[in-house]
Amino acid sequence: MLDVALVSLIKNMSEKAGIEGAIQYWSRVGENLAKRIGEEAYMGWPSFNVALKEGRTAYSIEGNVTALTDLAITDVDGDVVGYIYALEECVFNPTIERIRYSVGEIPDADKAVAEEYNNTVQNTATCNFCVIHQKFRSEVSKNITVENQVLECVQLANRGFKGDTKIAIRSLEKIGINPEYVRSLLRNYACVYGILMKGARLRGKEEAE
Amino acid sequence: MHEERRAQLGQHNPFVDVAAYLFLEDIGDKQGAAGMNNYLMSLATSLAKSMPKEEYLNWDDFLRSLEKGESIISSFEEVKCPTDNCVITQTCPFTRGWQEYTKRIGEFADIHKEVAEYYNATVKPGAVDSQCIIHQTFRKAAAERITVAGKHVKYAQIEAVTPNADEKRAPDEWLPILLDKAGITETELNMTMRNNDCVWILYTD
Repeated sequence: MLDVALVSLIKNMSEKAGIEGAIQYWSRVGENLAKRIGEEAYMGWPSFNVALKEGRTAYSIEGNVTALTDLAITDVDGDVVGYIYALEECVFNPTIERIRYSVGEIPDADKAVAEEYNNTVQNTATCNFCVIHQKFRSEVSKNITVENQVLECVQLANRGFKGDTKIAIRSLEKIGINPEYVRSLLRNYACVYGILMKGARLRGKEEAE
Repeated sequence: MHEERRAQLGQHNPFVDVAAYLFLEDIGDKQGAAGMNNYLMSLATSLAKSMPKEEYLNWDDFLRSLEKGESIISSFEEVKCPTDNCVITQTCPFTRGWQEYTKRIGEFADIHKEVAEYYNATVKPGAVDSQCIIHQTFRKAAAERITVAGKHVKYAQIEAVTPNADEKRAPDEWLPILLDKAGITETELNMTMRNNDCVWILYTD
């Protein structure tokens, strides 16, 4: 109920605080959530991936996340510095369905917020909610270490409720993953992102430079 | 909504629930209990106003729609009606969100109770925490959008218990009148509250 109520306020919020204000609001929500969940430390990638599978990491709040262990991210020396992860269902799908059943239409401000975010922050949002959880993931990675190294999270691809997709080509080039491969992942997953060690010397990045 | 899908929707997206609570706490930090209360009430009213109006030929039709979850007023909760005017919410629709919050963040922030104290003192005594403010304001605003045999439906709160077992009952001076309208005794209310979360009434003048 709370989520549907908040959505009914998007229009109001956009009118009062402006589209930019709404983005700032949602970003702060994502940031606060990440801060409140706390810190985590893992001995290595296997322990992180097991924790993820068992729903023990901060990322698990988003639902069923699969570690695509066949898609390791490697650095220039060939060492594994991260993996690709995929979320089965967008966390906002149930909210969107609840809106359809109880209210009807999703406010136009939803699209306006997503477009503004794509133009001013990064071109990865399919709806206004992407602002919250992309910010959340990016912030939460700062609170997690694997082998004593802080992580970073990179948004790679996502599919919106209406089937529209966003693929972050430049980010994929940096980690050396073929965009077409990630596109095929969207057939089965709603959101694909990479979690890797911050500052790693990536193979794709070096080649691009 | 199909029952199976409704149940499924009730189980998912802890992320949204927890984020929404933190969003409200952010407002509480900036605007205090009074500002947060205004925000919660406008949130709930705005939600009800965004939903379609309803009209029913008679009370039986309305009760049927209410119990089947087809009326806007029961969109977010499963209810049963032991009498014509008494409505029982078996499980508070905020239970899941509260559980996710306490599981992932910790103890529910004090501001959620502080805002309810403000609401009880300035609006109507019936809320245990912020969730009740949203819920009860929504019910009132939703009821105003419904007519039965041409008359507007009215709502009143009798008792609520939150997921952490805090209770709020209508004041002693109001209780006999509310129970009379509900068509239940105080003993029946006590029995009902053993395994339900909220008791309220709907009526027309």
